[in-house]
Amino acid sequence: MEKELILKEAFDSVIDSDEDKAMEVIKKAEEMGIDPVELLTEGFSAGIKHLGDLFGRGEVFLPELIFAAEVMKMVTTEIESKLEGGAMAKKGVMIIGTVEGDVHDIGKGIVASLVKTNGIEVIDLGREVPAQVFIDKAKEYNADIVGSSALLTTTMTVQKEIEELLKKEGLRDKVKTMIGGAPVTQRWADRIGADYYCEDASEGVKYALEYLANKN
Amino acid sequence: MTEAKKYFTRLGDGSSIHMTAEEIKADIEAGVADAVDRGKIDALTPEEKQKIFDIVTMPGKIVGVEPGKEIVMSNDSGAYKINVKSGIPISVDTEVLIYERVLGCDSVDVGNTDYNYKTAKGVAKREASKLKNALNISIMPLFYGAMPNLGFYTKPDGPVDNWAVLLPEGRVKESMDAQEEAVHHAVRDIVYVAEQMNDVGADGFQLDTSGAAGDADFLASLKACEEITRKFPNMGVEIGMAGEFVLGMHGKLKYNDVRLAGLYPHKQVKLAEQAGASIFGAVVNTNCNKSFPWNISRVCTFLKACSEAAVIPVHANVGMGVNGIPMCEILPSDMVSRADKAIVEICKLDGF
Repeated sequence: MEKELILKEAFDSVIDSDEDKAMEVIKKAEEMGIDPVELLTEGFSAGIKHLGDLFGRGEVFLPELIFAAEVMKMVTTEIESKLEGGAMAKKGVMIIGTVEGDVHDIGKGIVASLVKTNGIEVIDLGREVPAQVFIDKAKEYNADIVGSSALLTTTMTVQKEIEELLKKEGLRDKVKTMIGGAPVTQRWADRIGADYYCEDASEGVKYALEYLANKN
Repeated sequence: MTEAKKYFTRLGDGSSIHMTAEEIKADIEAGVADAVDRGKIDALTPEEKQKIFDIVTMPGKIVGVEPGKEIVMSNDSGAYKINVKSGIPISVDTEVLIYERVLGCDSVDVGNTDYNYKTAKGVAKREASKLKNALNISIMPLFYGAMPNLGFYTKPDGPVDNWAVLLPEGRVKESMDAQEEAVHHAVRDIVYVAEQMNDVGADGFQLDTSGAAGDADFLASLKACEEITRKFPNMGVEIGMAGEFVLGMHGKLKYNDVRLAGLYPHKQVKLAEQAGASIFGAVVNTNCNKSFPWNISRVCTFLKACSEAAVIPVHANVGMGVNGIPMCEILPSDMVSRADKAIVEICKLDGF
């Protein structure tokens, strides 16, 4: 019960963007012998996921999300410093970007932040990224996942190009592809051969964690 | 056991699907519930939900409103859909005549093809001349239209820092300052363009896709509208929205003590009224992954609340990806006509 309370306090500290409270929770959890990784994933990360959902409903706004992300960054660093070996084992590498011709990157940025706070290394390529750059960076960083976002019906075709280039370069079986964006659907994912369609940031995190857990 | 009859309908991305009556009814309930939950508004009545079901399952590819329920049709995007977008070489004033005398529209906005006020400012007197020519040969009311589009005021294209860059870096205060500064620039430009259009006798002025860059963008529209209606009282102003809720890129901006971020159509319209707008253009987003019955039920719940709250006329945007219209390049008339009928007959809107 006490553990549940601590996890709830961790959750709330992120929702309230309260860094002092977050640090206090980490200290209390340490005294109680709670696994810091559990504290991070079940407490703090759950909080930022919830904020992401509220943002999608217009109940929380971008600056609040940014403040919360700052608290998450601080919490992650603090917990990492307490782990044996100094850092949490990296679960995998994800390349992410908004496709060429598309400047919409708010959603992509949220996915990148949430994935990162769940222990996955994220290489954010920014916006207007040509398909070839996704492939080049996937090779360079030996990526596990390639995520692309498109907000326009005219730019989502770049996601198909990414699939084709991955096949051409012999990388298709080495990475999982994840696609998202307002006009993107499961049917589009099926048509182009993408592995995961993510309706929102939480789904992106869920698929990434599931895939990496089974892979590792 | 015979298989239940299935009705043709579509998903929000335009894909064809077939659903049973039970499935359609379940989606209608879910769509209404989603709008009620998000907007904190009243649900549609059982009769209204039945009406949506009837419209969804109505025989015929195209359906229409009952006689006597016809509404006015205004058109946006600067009278360049035939010449620029379709590549048919005609002048803007000829295009206006086609809208009026061939397509049967009640009004159109004439605007620059770049369709934002920052660009229009530099050529405002020429734009006014173009509008004047069109006004001289047409009968229907003509608006001048463009988007406030605050993004154009950020570096490197504009004078203020780019908040889309500052925010991910955690520079929240700077991003807020940049947005507030952009509002000031946008209002000045919009009012300048309005003055040129008022000089040539524009019937109206359209602030299209307001809020596209977030709450600061909506604030720019409200402040510009307030100033335009004060300076040029004979020229009406239409504020059309970009999305169903105002995105909180700033998060703390207020108009008349009301926080703008997160407002849904029934609350947006009240601020448009306070700013002096003559028409409010309501928007509810289409979800590509949900069915037409789900989308249109959600739309009708939001728009009915907006229409009931409004004193000024409300015109729904029935273009791609909003208000039940699928998000695809070629709009299917089966769903467009059903969305139109449902919005008119259930939400009692004044125009499209």
